[in-house]
Amino acid sequence: MLSFIESLAHRLGGQVERVAARNEHEVYLQLRDADSRPAISILRSEYQGRVASVFAEDRRSADACFFVYHVIEFPGDPAYLLLSTRIDHTDPHFPSHSVDIPALNWQEREIQDMFGIQSDDHPNPRRVALHDNWPDVHPLRKEFSLTTVLPEFEGERHIYRPALGEGVFQIPVGPVHAGIIEPGHFSFAVAGEPILYLQLRMFYTHKGTEKLFEGMPVERAVFLAESISGDSSFSHGTAFCQAVERAGAIELPLLAARMRTILLELERVYNHVADIGAIATDVGFGIANAHASRLREMIFGLNEVLTGNRLLRGMVRVGGVRRAWNESQLSALRLTVHGFESEFRHLVDLIVSSDSTRDRLERTGVLRLEKARDLGIVGVAGRASGIDLDVRRDHPYAAYGDFEIHPPVYDGGDVWHRMQVRIDEVPASLNIISALLDSDLHGEPCTPFDRIAPDSCALSSVEGWRGEIMHWIRVGADNRLERCKIKDPSLNNWPALVEAVQGNIIPDFPVINKSFNLSYSGTDR
Amino acid sequence: MIATVVSIALQLSLVLLLSPLVSGIIKTLKARLQTRRGPGILQPYRELHKLLRKGMVIPESASWIFSAAPIVVFSTAALVSLMIPMISAAAPLSLFGGVLAVVYLLGLGRFFLALGGLDTGTPFGGLGSSREMTISALAEPAMMLAIFTVALSANSTNLSEVAHSAIGQSWRFLAPSQVLAFAALFIVLIAETGRIPVDNPATHLELTMIHEAMILEYSGPYLALIEWGAWIKQLILMTLLINTFYPFGLSTDMGLLNLATGCASYLLKLLFLSALVVLVETTNAKIRLFRVPELLAVAFVLGALALISTFLF
Repeated sequence: MLSFIESLAHRLGGQVERVAARNEHEVYLQLRDADSRPAISILRSEYQGRVASVFAEDRRSADACFFVYHVIEFPGDPAYLLLSTRIDHTDPHFPSHSVDIPALNWQEREIQDMFGIQSDDHPNPRRVALHDNWPDVHPLRKEFSLTTVLPEFEGERHIYRPALGEGVFQIPVGPVHAGIIEPGHFSFAVAGEPILYLQLRMFYTHKGTEKLFEGMPVERAVFLAESISGDSSFSHGTAFCQAVERAGAIELPLLAARMRTILLELERVYNHVADIGAIATDVGFGIANAHASRLREMIFGLNEVLTGNRLLRGMVRVGGVRRAWNESQLSALRLTVHGFESEFRHLVDLIVSSDSTRDRLERTGVLRLEKARDLGIVGVAGRASGIDLDVRRDHPYAAYGDFEIHPPVYDGGDVWHRMQVRIDEVPASLNIISALLDSDLHGEPCTPFDRIAPDSCALSSVEGWRGEIMHWIRVGADNRLERCKIKDPSLNNWPALVEAVQGNIIPDFPVINKSFNLSYSGTDR
Repeated sequence: MIATVVSIALQLSLVLLLSPLVSGIIKTLKARLQTRRGPGILQPYRELHKLLRKGMVIPESASWIFSAAPIVVFSTAALVSLMIPMISAAAPLSLFGGVLAVVYLLGLGRFFLALGGLDTGTPFGGLGSSREMTISALAEPAMMLAIFTVALSANSTNLSEVAHSAIGQSWRFLAPSQVLAFAALFIVLIAETGRIPVDNPATHLELTMIHEAMILEYSGPYLALIEWGAWIKQLILMTLLINTFYPFGLSTDMGLLNLATGCASYLLKLLFLSALVVLVETTNAKIRLFRVPELLAVAFVLGALALISTFLF
């Protein structure tokens, strides 16, 4: 529950139609007016609110309108504020905040594409989530059936800003890349080797995930949540289960909270180690990657012992986790975690002592604090640029309430510091796991649940290894989902790449990109 | 006449067979240093076999230059390989002034390779070609200076004579001019063969490539010719380093025993040099593209110092 909600409601005065706290994690504040700009400006300037996300919901059958929600967090307060506005369904439109809050640029356009709700005064109202050659459909409206077969795509392709000037060339890269990475188009304008600007085009792997959730029983939907972004399976799965648990007021057993915390940290460790190795590879320091791959494999092996899956899939479920660990699994965990830190130290020493590697990484791809703040950068990339956000500390979940989390925050904003944040986080994660290993890991792994009251909704957030993951759900009849909004940290962070590469040279792009290591699948959904 | 034909045939087959092996050895050593198993030292032969059997995809925008480049690259490399002493101090061929022809024939191959990269009009080919020319424009003078240092003390630009004159003087390889020139040529070797810290031969990142970016459009037998040509060039540069600076063991006549010891010492030195290349490649990250000229400037200065010190010591 927000501590200052009463003073806030008073401050907003006549704008407020209704205030409701569904659970201790979130407060809903419905505005009387469709224009949320005055309220959000007050929340940002007087209460230091950060607009974390914006999304819409089709409630035409129940309330004869659409809703647009702004998720706002306040420093030092664990509860989120969801500011909702009714959008008239006959002429749906909502005010754009992108000029003041550039972080909302893509998300507002996504609402426009998916719901057909016009974003008023958006500085760049072109399509983003559905590409320009899509027919005029709005898939997240309820009348759009999942089985719809769309006609052949034709018409306008995306028009990029041309590269003009003497000696300025355009280098198109993608959407198909070398290696096994996902599709995305990068259009560079270069003058020789230096990059003048970069234009991004994402959403090539749009799979209609949010639509797929609709009508799905919550227990089955966990598997879908796990496949939103392969390297964050457990984080997304946990975020989803947590949302259902909050909606249905299902109490999480202590054992499950602890096990989830351990597995979330293992996911962070294996991804951070892999990224450190991959950053080294991209500057041609292969031996560090060989070392890092070995370490990652240790965690993968452990993951398989603990959950039966190297990527931690299938373990999390609504109400807890699938099964408790036996003694041999616990001793495998103890053994790996115990030996891991010194091995990791060796890897770090190898990289830190390589002058040629440092030379490539320092002051490469700098993302400055002001830009990071404007773009709403979260997670590892944000902390490397001085943005002190960490869901584990700010909105504790699972067993994180028992720990003091001190996220590493740097102001360098370059590739080196994005790696440094990862280097610092790995031992911290191992410490959390060790501490939990000393606690009681026995008991019931899962709370059974029956029927969740229809129309319950809940927000949940998890600090995935990349950053803030958010799921917002509304459960309908028979435990089937009415709506599931997913926000992966990659969605916030892709535009940062455009800023970070400016003024760097073309051959440094891959390592800058790798230092962010964003998910295409999580962005495109 | 017959002796010349025989020696040409022998050296050509040695070069063609040995050059993929050297590449395989370097790759395997590198893998072992990274505690990987690696694909085995015979992998380059398998790659050649595979590529030569495959069909080719030739871009629609390609002109005759695209087809000519692989042939020029391969044949200039093969021709140059006959002009340097390998296991015998006498090279089978000595054309147009020895070492000058060696440098410029390699330059011709590189010129065509860069044209081939530009020919299709793809952005990556253009990137690769412009980077390659930038680097070679700096590597070439360094290489000339280093080789002139040796040629000066031998009073000849003919590589056979350079080797002959070097064999007698067993302590010459510790002279400052020799050490400096060796260092200069070693940097050139790394730059010209596209190795870390200048270029990364194992990368899949198109945007960082130099040599690989130029040949992205090539496939099948053309790619085989280019790869093979690059391996031969690598062997040539390594042989130059070995036989002009440390020629001991080089056979001075065509006696069978001498040839055998020549062969053995050559292979041993090759293995040693490969290990040195691998060590540099493993312990360094690739340097930023704009710092490559600095590295090559170092090579140039070393070469210049070497040349000057031949007059001093």
